[in-house]
Amino acid sequence: MSSRRAQPARKDAAQRGKAVARKPVAGTPRWVAPTAVLAGIALLIVVFLIYRWYTTPLPPPPPSQDTTAQVLQILENIPKSDLDAVGQGTANNLIKPVSGSALVGPGGKPEVFYLGAEYCPYCAAERWPMVIALSRFGTFSGLTLTTSSSTDIYPNTVTLTFRSAKYTSQYIEFVAVETTDRDQKPLQSPTTEQQQLVQKYDSAGSIPFVDFANKYAFDGAMYKPDVISGMSWLSAAESLQSPDSAQAKAILGSANLITAAICKSIGDQPADVCSSTTIQNLEKTLK
Amino acid sequence: MSGRLRLVAVALSVAGIAVSVYLTVVHFIGFAPACPTTGPINCETVLTSKYAVLAGTSIPTSALGVVWFTVSAVFWIGGWRRAINWWSGAGLAFALALVFVEIGVLGAICLWCTAAHLLVLTLFLIALTEHSRQRGAY
Repeated sequence: MSSRRAQPARKDAAQRGKAVARKPVAGTPRWVAPTAVLAGIALLIVVFLIYRWYTTPLPPPPPSQDTTAQVLQILENIPKSDLDAVGQGTANNLIKPVSGSALVGPGGKPEVFYLGAEYCPYCAAERWPMVIALSRFGTFSGLTLTTSSSTDIYPNTVTLTFRSAKYTSQYIEFVAVETTDRDQKPLQSPTTEQQQLVQKYDSAGSIPFVDFANKYAFDGAMYKPDVISGMSWLSAAESLQSPDSAQAKAILGSANLITAAICKSIGDQPADVCSSTTIQNLEKTLK
Repeated sequence: MSGRLRLVAVALSVAGIAVSVYLTVVHFIGFAPACPTTGPINCETVLTSKYAVLAGTSIPTSALGVVWFTVSAVFWIGGWRRAINWWSGAGLAFALALVFVEIGVLGAICLWCTAAHLLVLTLFLIALTEHSRQRGAY
């Protein structure tokens, strides 16, 4: 009797179970998980940006005249033994041969032409070796200290600017154009001839662009600006007094390459600069 | 598994393979990718950094992308749900690490890399949607 009663009860329970399984489950809407993931990623990116802002070096305080003088004193008097000790260092040889009518400056001497901008961190990096190398052939005046843009990559890279620089040499002439200041406001404009030169040898328009008397040219920086990231002008300059430092290997190495390009472009003069074993060896790497 | 979503996922994986192959070729040939070189968007800065290669090797990070997208395409074609979920999660975690390197460490964004990262993210979201659907979400 009891078993006969139990059978319909089990059947009912089974049917109820089927009905429960078929009933739609009100779960989390399908859009919630992807939206939560996107929101999480957006939050993470904000955290990354805050980290970047927090770790970005602040621009150093404006340099005093004393600091400028100290920095220039160091750059213009790097001992030849230190330059020889570094050789190419860690500098990346970007110099390529170019062919064209000889580039001659207003005074009739072979011209080294530079095109850059003050905001540009690669230009900031390259001006250090440019000043060191050119100081071996002549004398600068009017060089001032500045930093690259605060908002570009490698922000606030310490450097010098050629915007008011004058250069005298018995071997070469140096012509520099800084197109904008560090806030990207227009500063100087290249002449039509200079623009043609850039279009011919630097079709991508990369800066800095340097032409050595139309014999050699390069664009870009020979070392990464982060080598001097976070340094003051004076600490960057002082680091060049130790040939083993990362800064010396990059900057003095670049200066030696630039020196070799100038020497080879003007017939290896003056001899005391161009006849050194280091420069002669580097000249061989310039095709 | 939705056939249409699976097809989209396979197509995105193939697009990811194309982007990663391009970046790998750029690395080995040594020419600059089509990308601005000034300002925060700067592929050159990212692709010439030490993070552009696997530590201690000359293998570009983008080669990992080729492998990841290829395996992803295989998983989606095969319809292996569990493998897809794990693989998509791992891919997204690695992509986020690379985004941190770009934004937090280098302060530069590589457009091509970002394209690959967005493909990884989209594939993850598709996997997540599929996962939710299978679990009865509506």
